[in-house]
Amino acid sequence: MNSRNAFSRRDFLMAGSALGLGALLPGLARAAGEELVAATFPGTWNEAHRNILKPAFMKGIDASVVQSIILGTDQISRLEAAKGGTPPFDVAIFDSPQVLDAVKQGLIMEYPVAKSPHYGELLPAFQDKWGPKISMQVIGIAYNPERVKTPPTRWEDLWDPRYKGRVGLTALNSQLGIAFLAELNRIKGGTDADFGPAFKALRELLPSVGAIAANLGAYATLWQQEQVDIAPYNFNFVQTLKGKGVPVEFVVPETGPVGWQTSMHVVAGSRVPELATRYIDTHLDAAVQAAMMKPPYDVIPTNGKVALQGAMTQTIARTQADLEKIRGLDWAALNPQRSALIDRFNREIRA
Amino acid sequence: MSDPRARPDWEAVSLRLVFGLLAAVALIFLVAPTLVILITSFTDSESLRFPPTGFSLRWYEALLDADQMQRAAWNSLQIAVCTTLLCVLLGTPASIAMARSRHPWIRACDVLFMSPLLLPALAFGFAGLIFVNQMGFRPSVTFLVLGHTIVCVPFVLRTTIAAMTQLDPALLDASRSLGASEWTTFRRVTLPLIAKGIAAGAFLAFMASFDNVPVSLFLADERTEVLPIHLWQQIESNLDVRTAAASGVIVMLTLGLMIIAERTAGLTRQMR
Amino acid sequence: MSTASTTRLTLPLTALFAVCFVAPLCVLVALSLAAGPDGGVATIGHYAAFVGDRFNASILFDTLWLGVKATLVCLLFGFPVAWICARAHVRWQSVLIFLVVLPILTSVVVRTFSWIVILGRHGLLNQIVLGLGLADEPLRLLYSEAGVIIVLAQVQMPLMVLPILTVLSRIDSNLFDASQALGAGQWRTLWRVAVPLSMPGIIAGCILTYAASITAFVTQTLIGGARLIYMPLFIYQQAVGANNWPFAAAISVIFMVAVLVVVAVLNGFGRRFEKHV
Repeated sequence: MNSRNAFSRRDFLMAGSALGLGALLPGLARAAGEELVAATFPGTWNEAHRNILKPAFMKGIDASVVQSIILGTDQISRLEAAKGGTPPFDVAIFDSPQVLDAVKQGLIMEYPVAKSPHYGELLPAFQDKWGPKISMQVIGIAYNPERVKTPPTRWEDLWDPRYKGRVGLTALNSQLGIAFLAELNRIKGGTDADFGPAFKALRELLPSVGAIAANLGAYATLWQQEQVDIAPYNFNFVQTLKGKGVPVEFVVPETGPVGWQTSMHVVAGSRVPELATRYIDTHLDAAVQAAMMKPPYDVIPTNGKVALQGAMTQTIARTQADLEKIRGLDWAALNPQRSALIDRFNREIRA
Repeated sequence: MSDPRARPDWEAVSLRLVFGLLAAVALIFLVAPTLVILITSFTDSESLRFPPTGFSLRWYEALLDADQMQRAAWNSLQIAVCTTLLCVLLGTPASIAMARSRHPWIRACDVLFMSPLLLPALAFGFAGLIFVNQMGFRPSVTFLVLGHTIVCVPFVLRTTIAAMTQLDPALLDASRSLGASEWTTFRRVTLPLIAKGIAAGAFLAFMASFDNVPVSLFLADERTEVLPIHLWQQIESNLDVRTAAASGVIVMLTLGLMIIAERTAGLTRQMR
Repeated sequence: MSTASTTRLTLPLTALFAVCFVAPLCVLVALSLAAGPDGGVATIGHYAAFVGDRFNASILFDTLWLGVKATLVCLLFGFPVAWICARAHVRWQSVLIFLVVLPILTSVVVRTFSWIVILGRHGLLNQIVLGLGLADEPLRLLYSEAGVIIVLAQVQMPLMVLPILTVLSRIDSNLFDASQALGAGQWRTLWRVAVPLSMPGIIAGCILTYAASITAFVTQTLIGGARLIYMPLFIYQQAVGANNWPFAAAISVIFMVAVLVVVAVLNGFGRRFEKHV
């Protein structure tokens, strides 16, 4: 129960309905000190935020932070459901497509640039009045070097009969799924208005597909258990898996890297906007971004003071100038068709 | 077999063989996952492969600073305790009535109270979320406990009713004829005799709440992460070996609790 | 004690159920009839949309059918376990029940996760199968319906074994002796005496196993993957992923009604059987 505000009628009702249970839950009734709830993504992001961002943020302030793992689309639906009341979390983390939705629905507030000392250090491409871009995510082909002897070079290699039964895919509820489908569509000559070519190619791929993960998380399990040997994947997640000793490598197909940006936002109606801004600003700090760039996180930095290092320089971008050249996707065109695409994909793949 | 002139009793032998085989396979499959997870949790490598290449306690040590996981476990524990208390407080009187009376009202109650066992819990969780939302509230610990109580109370009812039916009514009559009030009879006679049934039900309700995913998925708020959902996310996305260690801890605690429940409440007898 | 005072004992729990169970379900039904997310005119449009689309209908059918398969596997293995348990010495009986109950008390996530390790392409089961030369290449168990059924059967086994055991241990063992003294072989005794007499337990076990199998969200998603969509995942996708609450409410109602129908049929079957015997 929320103890920050005085007894409102709602709290009173809640207390009543709880049969006095709240009193039995000392650990659950929050302390009066300021508390920030920040959304984070599963996997690499959660680890990096827990191990690097949280300690850096907590330095020198008296506040607590709860990092809650929620996917971007779930964050949107939860914020929508809570509209008008206290939002369930204060900091949102979105991929490019959700930012459009969130702005349209009025779920996030304009980022208070003046209160964010590190904002000015970002490369111009990563500055955004609705919230700074904290990183980029790039997709390519992941493969198991022990079982795929010649590294793939093109997306078409997934259709190679040698890999029959060993190709992995993920459902379209992740950006990875949508981005792969869109890129496939582009290569096969489709347009944003016509996904026919992508679905035709997908249908031809299905006999080779060994497993389709229900979500991005389960995808990692497929690699760990060596259930799949070749699949489209995010650069970061491949690095995380490698760090855990899973045999997996990442290549960017010859058609070039495709990606999107990840950003953080102060949620509209947050009770602690200053704290939220401070949390986001910490993520922009060059020292924090440099730490997150190290393995096993390999988070691509957006702060201009951080020189690129490590695995990303071999596959994605040698310098920051290259980052700005990574091809993006037209989310304004893709977003409205998202649920139709998901629906069609689910029908196509149904075993 | 005692009959010497009988044909070699191939029927008895084949029945034993078939049933023995089926039961053996079943038992192996019942126990294997628990064993596998226990063994995997002692791995010394970063990856969750079975069998592990070497053994160590490193992942159990890592649990000590897994603060997110500890927090989730603590939340789950408190929620399960509250749920169990509510289940026992509300379930015990109801079971007493349900065991004693065949009144139509009681029969209707029986159907109603047992239906959470049959209805899809996920649909109930979703209904709960809609309800909470339409009333203008947000998901919270309070609602979570109430939701858990609904799906866990049938366990208490089942074991308590079973214990009640074993109760000799003559004992109660004797107590009352000796002038004891209803309340005294309940406290001095009924309660001690059905305590084991209640305890077994409470244990089952506790485990069911501690392990609940479908209701928590909808009714837990973002500030209160519960353990099963946290573990689920960790397993899915991080393949974190600490998850295996946490699983190991849960398995061992469960075993310990089961043994205690067996010793004190005769768990296995109450569940029959 | 009077009937009135006995009935009164159920009131607290009844109140809880009225507010926290019946009311939410009514709201669910109401929402499923709403035209838009904010209410509006009543419509059966969402139900029509579900029934009219073969894809949706096949998800429902597959889910109900999955439950049947898992229940049958459970029965096939569970009956012998209960049978042996009922005949075992009291000490062994406790150990056996302990083993049977173990899975239902181990965290569902933990258990399912363990199955991923066992069923994977290089998992324990495939290592054994390949080692024994039973197959040339690893079997596809993870992300297949067979895998889901195996795991469901294991997880729900206690729900099948316990009710059967209860009934079996109440049957007078003289009945078996009599049957055999009259010359019936063991198999015949099993089919003609033991199975019919334990039918109430079998039916109860089947109902519990069935209801639990079709709603096992975690198992179905983790072991089944994205290509096998069952109703719980479908509801979750529509509710949270697509944020389409009225439609999700409608399919929840359809799913619940379908489950209740199956349970009622099984129940009716059990009742007829009891009269028969």
